[in-house]
Amino acid sequence: MGKKQNTKTKKDAQDTQDEPEEFVVEKVLDQLAWDTCPLLADNTWEPEENLDCPELISAFLEAQKNVKEKPAPVKRKASTDEPETESKKKDVAEKPRGFARNLEPERIIGATDSSGELMFLMKWKDSDEADLVPAREANTRCPQVVISFYEERLTWHSCPEDEAQ
Amino acid sequence: MPTKNVIDERLSKFKNKGKDPAKLREKRISVSVELRKAHKNENFLKRRNITLSSLPDEEALSPDYCSTEMVTPLSMEEIIKDVTSESRESQTRGCQAARKLLSQECNPPLKEIINAGLLSRFVSFLSMDDEPALQFEAAWALTNIASGTSWHTQQVVEHGAVTAFISLLASPMLHISEQAVWALGNIAGDGSAYRDVLIECNVIPALLARICPDTPVGYLRNLTWTLSNLCRNKNPFPPSSAVLQMLPSLIQLLHHCDKDILSDACWAISYLSDGDNERIDVVVKTGIVPRLVELMSHKELSVMVTPALRSIGNIVSGSDLQTQTAIDAGILNVLPRLMRHQKASVQKEAAWALSNIAAGPCNQIQQLITCGLLPPLVEQLKNGDFKTQREAVWAVTNFTSGGTVEQVVHLVQVGALEAIISLLQVKDVKVILVILDAINNIFMAAEKLGETEKLTLLVEELGGLDRIEMLQNHDNDAVYRAAHTLIEKYFSDADIEEVKVDTTVDAFAFQSPDVKRTFEF
Repeated sequence: MGKKQNTKTKKDAQDTQDEPEEFVVEKVLDQLAWDTCPLLADNTWEPEENLDCPELISAFLEAQKNVKEKPAPVKRKASTDEPETESKKKDVAEKPRGFARNLEPERIIGATDSSGELMFLMKWKDSDEADLVPAREANTRCPQVVISFYEERLTWHSCPEDEAQ
Repeated sequence: MPTKNVIDERLSKFKNKGKDPAKLREKRISVSVELRKAHKNENFLKRRNITLSSLPDEEALSPDYCSTEMVTPLSMEEIIKDVTSESRESQTRGCQAARKLLSQECNPPLKEIINAGLLSRFVSFLSMDDEPALQFEAAWALTNIASGTSWHTQQVVEHGAVTAFISLLASPMLHISEQAVWALGNIAGDGSAYRDVLIECNVIPALLARICPDTPVGYLRNLTWTLSNLCRNKNPFPPSSAVLQMLPSLIQLLHHCDKDILSDACWAISYLSDGDNERIDVVVKTGIVPRLVELMSHKELSVMVTPALRSIGNIVSGSDLQTQTAIDAGILNVLPRLMRHQKASVQKEAAWALSNIAAGPCNQIQQLITCGLLPPLVEQLKNGDFKTQREAVWAVTNFTSGGTVEQVVHLVQVGALEAIISLLQVKDVKVILVILDAINNIFMAAEKLGETEKLTLLVEELGGLDRIEMLQNHDNDAVYRAAHTLIEKYFSDADIEEVKVDTTVDAFAFQSPDVKRTFEF
């Protein structure tokens, strides 16, 4: 029962669609002038003779052609002016530590003097591994980073406490 | 955690400016964790010294973080005496002392050790399977000598170390085998000659045999690096039989999760894909391209970008088919971001890759447009550093050469013409020529549309006419000629009538808003 009703409504819809179909064709033709209509490449579209705008079509076809009718530009291979990765490596069990790693200091995240001299725990840019550097080195190499560390920890209070520990 | 209440109590006595006690505590805990970690790492690295040497070792026992000095090191004379003695104990002591000297950061005495004639001794120690401590120290010492200049490496090789090291790869002692991997990596890295010597000595099967599921990560890192050196260098490239042997393992390693392994494996691929299209084919056929694109955009592994991008760049410098595999793998979705990367070198390589894709057929060029590669290209032309701009200019010229008229029109619409005109004032002659070529191609497109007059006006508006006129006085012959030709063809009054032959222009519907917009900004 539902089916019957459905087919009926479908038929109705189709009937009303017969008129718009023609209208749509004209509209698409107009479109041809402004956009590059991809439908023209389709075999299902009408043959050229049935459309009365040969200039449009030839202009359209011209636009589809390559600019140059000559061999395609040659691809360019790599130029190796970029330093790649190291070709030889020295084995030092003690890996370069601290400033010898040649990384940029990001910020100091801690301090300790358990080794007898004041050391900062340095977080480097682009690395997850923080390590210890002597404060005297840090003071000359990255004084602003050191200052930030101290400023962050400035406290005003009555009891003398060591904030860093 | 148990100390929470105690800390809170103390903190409450303080007057802190806008500091949250909970945050402070967190900071403190993380700092002490970091300090403990750093301490642990320092000690871990020193373990080698403890286990292998039966002699008191100052470094291993000291809690001092920054000292790498030894207490009473052996003098060179003492080292020579020990190494050349007949006592295993002395030899080991001397060898270790030599190794430590050779491992120091500043100016290790490579030449001294060589000139003292110790190399043949070290090499002979390599075969003493019953003396692992001695083997290890000798292997380490030789590794560091081989890490020097070509001359240093040559000394190591000429004393017969190669076969000894290759045999050591099979050692049941993992740390010794690993040391051999490292030494061989240094020898291979010297250049194509030694690389091929190693390959001839069957180093590859011996290396690959060490890859198994329980191989520790540290070992695999060294191994991957050594493999990459066996893929490295040109003139000649490594033999294709060797490449084919290594590739399956490299592909495997490219699916590992350790970033150092991934990075070196990627570098290996970048070396293998550098060259003619047959070499590229070998790489592409492994099906690795999607993984490379994935690694290019891996956010956590910024170390991956360069070798992955280089590999892809090499692949798209190949045939249209090879380029298509990269496009199919989604490279065009990743490139725009890399073209805006903070590192200039990445931007440059991305532009280079783009320029090669733009050297392809117009359907690939169309994909450049649809995937939004043009806006970042124009940005690079305007704001990139010079090396990047140079590559971007190539992209424009290739685009204008292989693209359809429509595509070229679009390129102009997004501002590329304006951008390359600004670059006409650079000093680099090649770049100027490439730009003039692009402008010529754009005029050829305009000719097909009958819009050359409009383009002439546009170029003039953008300051191009002035620049091209000035280039007629350039020192370089080719530049002067190219500029002159352009002026004569399109900017000379005498030609206006010829252009007007195309007056059917008015009948063409291409004088549509769309195309009018072509040469209007």
